[in-house]
Amino acid sequence: MPKTPSKPASADDPAAPSRNRWLAVLLAWLVPGAGHVYLGRRTRGLYFLIVVSAAIFVGVKIGGGLSMAFDAPLQKLGTLASMGMGLPYFVLRFVAGYTGDLARPGFEYGAAFLLSAGLMNLLLILDTWDVANGRRP
Amino acid sequence: MLSTHFGLMVAYALIVALFFAGLWRRERKAQIRLFLQVFLGLVGGGLVLAYLMYPFPAHPPAPFP
Repeated sequence: MPKTPSKPASADDPAAPSRNRWLAVLLAWLVPGAGHVYLGRRTRGLYFLIVVSAAIFVGVKIGGGLSMAFDAPLQKLGTLASMGMGLPYFVLRFVAGYTGDLARPGFEYGAAFLLSAGLMNLLLILDTWDVANGRRP
Repeated sequence: MLSTHFGLMVAYALIVALFFAGLWRRERKAQIRLFLQVFLGLVGGGLVLAYLMYPFPAHPPAPFP
């Protein structure tokens, strides 16, 4: 399959309004779904905002651990993955002081939800890039 | 729902299935099909694994008698 040349969406293409793709990617990282909304895919953006937010909500509700250490290689990966959710991570950690509740049985389960929320948002960032470059509708 | 292992497993499967159905498919029918495949695969697979692991002890044997 021939490689599709990377080009920013143009204003002539009604399916992909002219937008700064780097800003779209930054917005996609900061707020789940915001990149898609910026590119004109409001319904998809809102859909992903709800889904990723649901994962974060469940993770926090059951006291899930929020990865924040950089000591061991797996901890580094876990922290980077959790940071993938963008602003919610930093709000939880630095504004709300949330770290998870080790005493609760949902600590490990909730950590999985929070990690997955971060990883899902990283996939959304990639999708945003593809949409911004016209590779996907 | 969130107070049981099974409830949490279903919640996780629901979120993941919704996410990938929305990400990988554009047509509604295809989205619903992928959602069901992922959701039932995760929940069903979890139940199958649970039954397969049932004969094995929950805790390792004590190292010394």
